[in-house]
Amino acid sequence: MNWLKQQINKELWSPYVAGALLGIVGILTVVLAHALLGASGGFENLAAYIGKAISPNNMYFNFMMKAEITYPVILLVGIFFGGMLGALSSGTFKFRTMDSEQWKKAYGKQTWKRWLLLFVGGIIVEFAAGVAGGCTSGLAISGGMLLAPAAFLFIGGMFASGIVTALIVYGKKY
Amino acid sequence: MLSVKMIVIALFLGVLFGFALNKAGLTKYHKIVNQFRLTDFTVLKFMMTALVVTMIGVYPLRELGVITFPAIPETYVLGNLVGGLVFGVGMALAGFCPGTAMAGAGEGKWDYIVPGLLGFLTGAVLFGLTYSSFMPQLKAIGNYGNVVLPDLWHISPYLAVFVFALMALVLFYLIDRVGMHRKEKKD
Repeated sequence: MNWLKQQINKELWSPYVAGALLGIVGILTVVLAHALLGASGGFENLAAYIGKAISPNNMYFNFMMKAEITYPVILLVGIFFGGMLGALSSGTFKFRTMDSEQWKKAYGKQTWKRWLLLFVGGIIVEFAAGVAGGCTSGLAISGGMLLAPAAFLFIGGMFASGIVTALIVYGKKY
Repeated sequence: MLSVKMIVIALFLGVLFGFALNKAGLTKYHKIVNQFRLTDFTVLKFMMTALVVTMIGVYPLRELGVITFPAIPETYVLGNLVGGLVFGVGMALAGFCPGTAMAGAGEGKWDYIVPGLLGFLTGAVLFGLTYSSFMPQLKAIGNYGNVVLPDLWHISPYLAVFVFALMALVLFYLIDRVGMHRKEKKD
């Protein structure tokens, strides 16, 4: 039992083990909730509160993604606490404004730069998830596990442009 | 309104999902960007393993009539692809996606909690406000509806799952044994 506890508390698991856990969660999601996993959809529900204030008659926020505390929103809350639980188990929970050594090498060590780029990156990612019909969770993983072609079109596009972007950002250090 | 039961289930599933993301290390910038640099294949291994495990579970359950597939993501070829292309740019720049950012926020990362979440909300507001000006047209291009490959191609779902699992195993073999990944350059 001690061995098992040690394995669970390790900061990093084998990606195959962590992936298998997610796979089981995927099955449970379909069986227990008759729904899929997702993350970007929850943000759309939350954004609808702001969107409706800006444009009260907006079709999307009134009929498609309503300002409601929906299943995807609760899922987001769960993901937050899941990340916390994981970090607490390995003793890596810590409040910090930025922590990536590799980021500092690539972009410099100014915190404002990282914050600006995460904000811009967040906008791009969430808007694109809307266009594609989901994000890495709701489309790539949830669609892929059902063998939906949408997921594989998305994954192909994501890897192609991700590689090109990393090539540009890293240049000679790629 | 959500029932209490559904809230408990969603919290339970979300916690396990966030826990798995944390343990796979995907809440870290370098794990995501190094996948795109092809020096670390954690993202691909994690995703492919999850896909294979889930499909081995859900397809037989569907064939046995125990479950039906909920909310199958809609296939509209151009939109799925273009969305993926734009998504990859943001993901490689920031080193996160909505799910990993939420799990990372739970680890105490202020850069995920403040600019990250504000970015997602802004992106979602922009998408909602512009939705009717381009999405209906985009969704009409190459639209196959809420379909899965075995149904679309009229092949046995068991065969499809088997072939996918085999492809994943070959991919893992190429990554781990043949050394498909690139070596990190020394400074």
